[in-house]
Amino acid sequence: MSNGVTHKAFSIARISAISSNTFLELVRQKVFSFMILFAALGIGASFVASSWQFQEQFQVLKDVSLGAMSVFSWLLATLATAIVIPKDIEERTLYTILAKPVSRLEYLLGKLFGVLSLLVVGIGLMSALFALVLYARGQIALAEAIREYPAGAELEAALAQIKATAFDARLVPAILIIFTKVAVCASLTLMISSFSTSWIFTVMISTVVYIIGHVQPIAREYWLTQTPIGVTPSPLLKNFLGFTAVIFPDFQMFNVVDEIVVGNAVPVSMFLESFGMGFGYVFVFTLVGYIFFSNREL
Amino acid sequence: MSTPAISIKNLTKVFPIPFRREKVVAVDDLSLVVEPGQVYGLLGPNGSGKSTTMKIVLGLVAPTAGETEIFGCDSTRVESREQVGFLPENPYFYKFLTGLETLEFYGKLCGLRGKPLNDRAKELLHLVRLENAADRRIGGYSKGMLQRIGLAQALIQEPRLLVLDEPTAGVDPAGSREIRDLILDFKGRGLTVLLCSHLLEQVQEICDRVGILHQGRLIREGRLDELISIENQTELIFENASPALIAEIRAKAAAGGARVVDERQPQQNLERFFLDVTGGPK
Repeated sequence: MSNGVTHKAFSIARISAISSNTFLELVRQKVFSFMILFAALGIGASFVASSWQFQEQFQVLKDVSLGAMSVFSWLLATLATAIVIPKDIEERTLYTILAKPVSRLEYLLGKLFGVLSLLVVGIGLMSALFALVLYARGQIALAEAIREYPAGAELEAALAQIKATAFDARLVPAILIIFTKVAVCASLTLMISSFSTSWIFTVMISTVVYIIGHVQPIAREYWLTQTPIGVTPSPLLKNFLGFTAVIFPDFQMFNVVDEIVVGNAVPVSMFLESFGMGFGYVFVFTLVGYIFFSNREL
Repeated sequence: MSTPAISIKNLTKVFPIPFRREKVVAVDDLSLVVEPGQVYGLLGPNGSGKSTTMKIVLGLVAPTAGETEIFGCDSTRVESREQVGFLPENPYFYKFLTGLETLEFYGKLCGLRGKPLNDRAKELLHLVRLENAADRRIGGYSKGMLQRIGLAQALIQEPRLLVLDEPTAGVDPAGSREIRDLILDFKGRGLTVLLCSHLLEQVQEICDRVGILHQGRLIREGRLDELISIENQTELIFENASPALIAEIRAKAAAGGARVVDERQPQQNLERFFLDVTGGPK
């Protein structure tokens, strides 16, 4: 070869070059503007709930913040992923990239990791803001308790309860589960984008699958449990339910976040199951996306 | 005999039309060879199959039948692109990157890193005369500058083959001349160039060999001078020839059985005139 570098069939360096470029491209499109809205929501929720009991305050704050984090990161994952490939095709930068010794798998992984980096930074920033608001509200609650209770065992108990309610260590895995869920959404959108010719179509289909992914476990549960005892569900219904379960990801498994918010105990195995299933979906969607993309005429 | 830079054998590409039984034959049983060091012009009207052929050579489109090789390596294999630099028609690069960052990005895709990459990028910026715009965002580049940075990115890994699709499309005469001079410079350095262009005058100026495609088929192919020369005619251009001398030559020609087909005052071409009056490249 001309520059003395031996060609590697699969190169982390090439993937990294594409992913860092994708990350930079998305950042320069001012995608983080939504942070202002997120901050407003978090601070707003903390003020609205300021007159309530501290348990309710933290409950509302966690509910609103984690909910907003989930929605914003889903929007970011879907919209950012939907535009990256069509934009490269439209502006012909894809031709100049694939005319270099870059395989389509490397290109696709580079784009996916670029979006995932963006999500890591986005969720990281939202988490930092969330932690800041939570800390500030916690300090206020502690100060109020010191004013309210005389020194002694009662005050100690109140302070301990506030600390336990405000700084729940399980929020960290909850945030990681939000990331896993949006990583699934990003890989799903990338898979659709690998054969779609329009980013609007990609966003629409991805959104529909997202909704079905939330609804289909509930529907499956309902149909199967509503069948009268002693009567087996029809084979057609079973096949249909099996088909939807295979095709559409089960987004209900990420609802473990809701359990954390309301303070319910969540076994570690449930977290691990959510992470494992999530990254399994990411792998499958990326693989299917690659199969489509490798056969695509550019 | 050396390995051809490009070898195309019985290449056919058929595009199905969605929801219809008809198919479009974009390339029909095309065979051609581009030897190392040649500047090969692939000509043809719109829809003749030039771009499809180029995309197949670059592995962007899969052939329906036939084979294409780059320096003996199957062009469907990713490693064949180690040897190729490509400039698409009307290229757009990432607007948020500067000229230097653009070259570094493409260099990284070719396995270059660190100082050698930085040095190579700067060398190319000098070659295409964009050193002063190295730190400017691509979004602010003119059409001619975009084409030149496109040429630089195509050359980043020191390829042995350059594939250029309409490299001067939409560029003003001065920019067009600069790009032509660069291509001639590449030719001088021993690079092989496959050039697709509608600008026949430009092709005539720089290509050694041409192939003409029409409706996906190669209808003529050969050395440019052989294809366009008129074998039974000779052209002489005199400076300061007096009317008497011209008359004498005419008489001698007639006596020798030759016929004077045309007699006129040579003109410089419009491009040269334009470049002279606007102070463009010599």
